[in-house]
Amino acid sequence: MTFHWHVVWDNLDRFATGAVLTVELTVLTMALSIPGGLLLAFLRLSPFGPVRVATTAFVELFRSTPLILQIYWVYYVLPTFTEIQFPAFETAIIGLVCNVSSYNSETFRAGIVSIRTGQWNAGLAVGMTKAQVMGRIVLPQAAMRVLPALATTWVSLFKDTSLVSVINVEELSYQSLKIRTETFTILEVLTAMATIYWLMGYPQAKLVDWVHRRYKAAE
Amino acid sequence: MIDLTPLLLRWPFLANALLVTIELSLSSMVVGLAIGIVVGTLRTYGGRVIDAVFGFYVDSMRSVPLLVVLVWTVFAFPLVFGHAIGTLTAGIIGLGIHLGAYVAETIRAGLTSVRKGQMQAARALGMSRFEAIRKIILPQALVRMLPSLGSLLTFAIKDSAVASVIAVPELMRQSQVVAGQTYHFKEIYTSAMIAYFLLCYPVARGVDRIYRRVAHLGSS
Amino acid sequence: MSAPLVSPPFLRVGAEAAPILTFEKVSKRYGNLLALSEVSFQINRGEVVCLIGPSGSGKSTLLRCANALEMLDGGRVTFEGADVHGAGDARRVRQRMGMVFQNFELFPHLTVLRNITIGPTTVLRLDTAAADARARALLHKVGLSDKVGQHPAALSGGQQQRVAIARALAMEPALMLFDEPTSALDPETIGEVLSVMKALADEGMTMVVVTHEMDFAKRVADWIVVFDQGRVIEQGPPKQIFEAPTVPRTREFLSHLGWHGESIAEISAGE
Repeated sequence: MTFHWHVVWDNLDRFATGAVLTVELTVLTMALSIPGGLLLAFLRLSPFGPVRVATTAFVELFRSTPLILQIYWVYYVLPTFTEIQFPAFETAIIGLVCNVSSYNSETFRAGIVSIRTGQWNAGLAVGMTKAQVMGRIVLPQAAMRVLPALATTWVSLFKDTSLVSVINVEELSYQSLKIRTETFTILEVLTAMATIYWLMGYPQAKLVDWVHRRYKAAE
Repeated sequence: MIDLTPLLLRWPFLANALLVTIELSLSSMVVGLAIGIVVGTLRTYGGRVIDAVFGFYVDSMRSVPLLVVLVWTVFAFPLVFGHAIGTLTAGIIGLGIHLGAYVAETIRAGLTSVRKGQMQAARALGMSRFEAIRKIILPQALVRMLPSLGSLLTFAIKDSAVASVIAVPELMRQSQVVAGQTYHFKEIYTSAMIAYFLLCYPVARGVDRIYRRVAHLGSS
Repeated sequence: MSAPLVSPPFLRVGAEAAPILTFEKVSKRYGNLLALSEVSFQINRGEVVCLIGPSGSGKSTLLRCANALEMLDGGRVTFEGADVHGAGDARRVRQRMGMVFQNFELFPHLTVLRNITIGPTTVLRLDTAAADARARALLHKVGLSDKVGQHPAALSGGQQQRVAIARALAMEPALMLFDEPTSALDPETIGEVLSVMKALADEGMTMVVVTHEMDFAKRVADWIVVFDQGRVIEQGPPKQIFEAPTVPRTREFLSHLGWHGESIAEISAGE
């Protein structure tokens, strides 16, 4: 059988555009999802019952349903409630941010709670206020604890951007599959697509391993 | 505002799709477990070269999106093996291979988390390494890994929805079909969300419950 | 300084019996660290030999060299006439030696009974009924018959260690190795474990015990070997070691155990 590798070279610019958009989606989503996750985490730890319950429902919903369905839901259903039809890219961001913020909120919540009460007591015993203990003793330690989990979430996010191709956001998967349908060269295009993802993703996975080693939680 | 008629009319169709989702999730979990236990155990006890070789497999699955793996499986399989592959089978294989990498990492973490002294105690009795792994280390490790394995099961359920892009007739795909035909996106997609939630949430809580009861069997 | 290494046979109890375990110039290193340096001594059948000395002086490492859980970098270990690290299967040696660990290392996913029977059934290929009977007899011996169906997590430290001793005895070993058996125990449970060990010694079991329990060593040991920094600095009967040690370092080690009211200045001056 003959391979038409020239298809890949001819369309390198489109692959590149797609890859760039993939990275943009990842960076933008994470940039919004860290404050998003912090907000949700604090709301879940709120003393007000209804706030806690509503936030928990939101977080559990986004963690217990598939991202691809969430993307479709935000794209097709949200406009019927808000009367606004966002373009595909913004819709993708909304869906991704809701999803990743929910996962992050769990990470942050677990990180804050994991700091032993002994640390709280030690801070309070010296005479600090609760806010001071939170800001100077608990959060800095929690930040170190959550770094590994955040790194893992980052790589998952990078992979999940491929799913927004289903609402025609022109990132790498969309570009690749479009080229495939235009040129009928299945194996060559799929190989290129997999290779580009691999080249971008593999170093990230190794970086995550490094973060895990470096920031191992030491009691 | 909310019109449930299309939902009520097409519910057998969607219920069948739900069954396919369940079958897809469980089957891919089984495949993933089989691959993961073997790879994870080999990586832990097999020496540097084996660790590196399988490490490549694991890290590649962490780098490449599931979507790509699934599309690859559906198209590469006929080219390699000569005949076509059913979409459901492709889905199970693709999902299983992808999940297997994560299971392998969980297994590896579990095995290394068992105290060194347990292996020493087993060998001091005269057991071979293989006997010690099989009877002493692996059982304890599996108990410890229950929460992680449970969360991987919920991932299997959620990831099964990605199989919609290769036209596996599971819930996501069939919801798209019905929504496309009836234009009742709100009702169809929302019920799909509820259906997945009802699958995943109890699994997560259930695993928690089970773990709390058997945790003492894993603490050495 | 070198210590008198040759143990004068006529001073040792049970010297008429043949030596069962011999260390000849055993050396072991971990990277640059020399954990054991030319350690030589012997253990005779029926003897209780206690290894004492500061932490990190190599005692536990030596024990693990005895049953080939660790490899040697020099010297020989001979058990029942054969080289432990020789071409033969190390598993055979381990079947003839029982080991009790500082952290008990009971198998948490198995019941107490199964912990004791797993060795005989898996390694000795005993049938379940025979293994069960043996296990129950041993549990009775260590005073824990009522714990048969429980899991280790439900037992106290002292109880777990007694089960661990029963587990090792179930293999009917010729020699028992104890690696600081009471170091991880609460003070009130130390006694129950040491009394089991004393009973074992009275029955004539050959025992090698790494311990910090000097009282036990004084009462039960037939021979003491003193370690420091990977070397044997002195060995002899308890009477000699505890009352009239010939080596200054031994004296120093024994006098610094515990705290008798010294101030921090006094301790720092002594270091």
